Amino acid sequence: MHEMIWWIMICCGLITFAARFLPLSGLLPDELPAGVKRAMHYVPIAVLTPIIVSGIFIADDGSFMLTDNMRLYAAIIAAAIAIFTRSILATLIAGLSSLWLLNFLL
Amino acid sequence: MSENMSQTRTKSQEFVSGLLDELPLQAGIIPFGMVYGILGIESGMTVWQTFLLSSVLFGGASQIVFTQLISSSTPPAIIVSTIGAINARHLLYSTSMLGYLSHLPLRWRVLLAYLLTDEAYAVSIRRFSERPHNANMHYHLLGSGLLLFSVWQASTLAGIILGAAIPAQLELGFAIPLSFLAIVLPLLKMRAEIIAAIIAGSVALISQGLPFNSWLLLAAISGIIAGIMAEKYLPHSEQENR
Repeated sequence: MHEMIWWIMICCGLITFAARFLPLSGLLPDELPAGVKRAMHYVPIAVLTPIIVSGIFIADDGSFMLTDNMRLYAAIIAAAIAIFTRSILATLIAGLSSLWLLNFLL
Repeated sequence: MSENMSQTRTKSQEFVSGLLDELPLQAGIIPFGMVYGILGIESGMTVWQTFLLSSVLFGGASQIVFTQLISSSTPPAIIVSTIGAINARHLLYSTSMLGYLSHLPLRWRVLLAYLLTDEAYAVSIRRFSERPHNANMHYHLLGSGLLLFSVWQASTLAGIILGAAIPAQLELGFAIPLSFLAIVLPLLKMRAEIIAAIIAGSVALISQGLPFNSWLLLAAISGIIAGIMAEKYLPHSEQENR
């Protein structure tokens, strides 16, 4: 298993470096096709949102949590802070401390 | 001081200004790197694998996803495709740097491409597009990139070392969805972007049970398609992006 992880790491590293280097290599046309550009615009949203919602609603054992979900309440507080401050650090502090407080109180 | 307004800034001046421009972002990078280090060890990767992934991939969000997929024994092809999808956005960064870097020798382009992360891109593209251009300008990206690289390695290492001492009840893994929340919410400005987020999030929840941990890849592709379709077929009541 651990040897397999090394190979997966190397493949992921190569594909990531390719994304960073190919346009600078001079091998591609200077402009990305408009369709690719439009798709790229949605990548951060489309990749990060699933991680956010599964982090909030999916328990460590894989079950769906809707009621009595402290992470959901903490995330709502953190979202308000995120919109208000736009600071990752402030959002982290607000979200984690409210999660700890809710777990402690309820 | 200003006897010559077009005076070229030296290599070291550009380098230091890159470092300084990158410095404030480290407040978010350090906890992020530490959480990655902790999650890497928890996922079953070895210490060396966890540490070296920070230089092999050198991309925060993709490294976190990597640990999640490894810990739930996802097939290698799904892991590589998912990471490829996440990091494909760097094609955009690299393309937009072409005008400033394409004249450099190959070894410089290889090095700077490697350092072209979200955070280094963000501060150096600002310098490239705003201040007067000069022949030493690429040292700015070298400075911002190297600072980020060093801090990222050090905080990964700190997370690996401290990880064992941090109790599981603290739910530090929750820091990941929280920091992504802070990244995504400011991006949701137009209707198409909001629709992309809703579709990606819903598909992620619905498809959790699918085999091979393919939910993330499926959700990401659905979100991208939803965003493009919404942009194309919904009437444009808001201003066009870019």
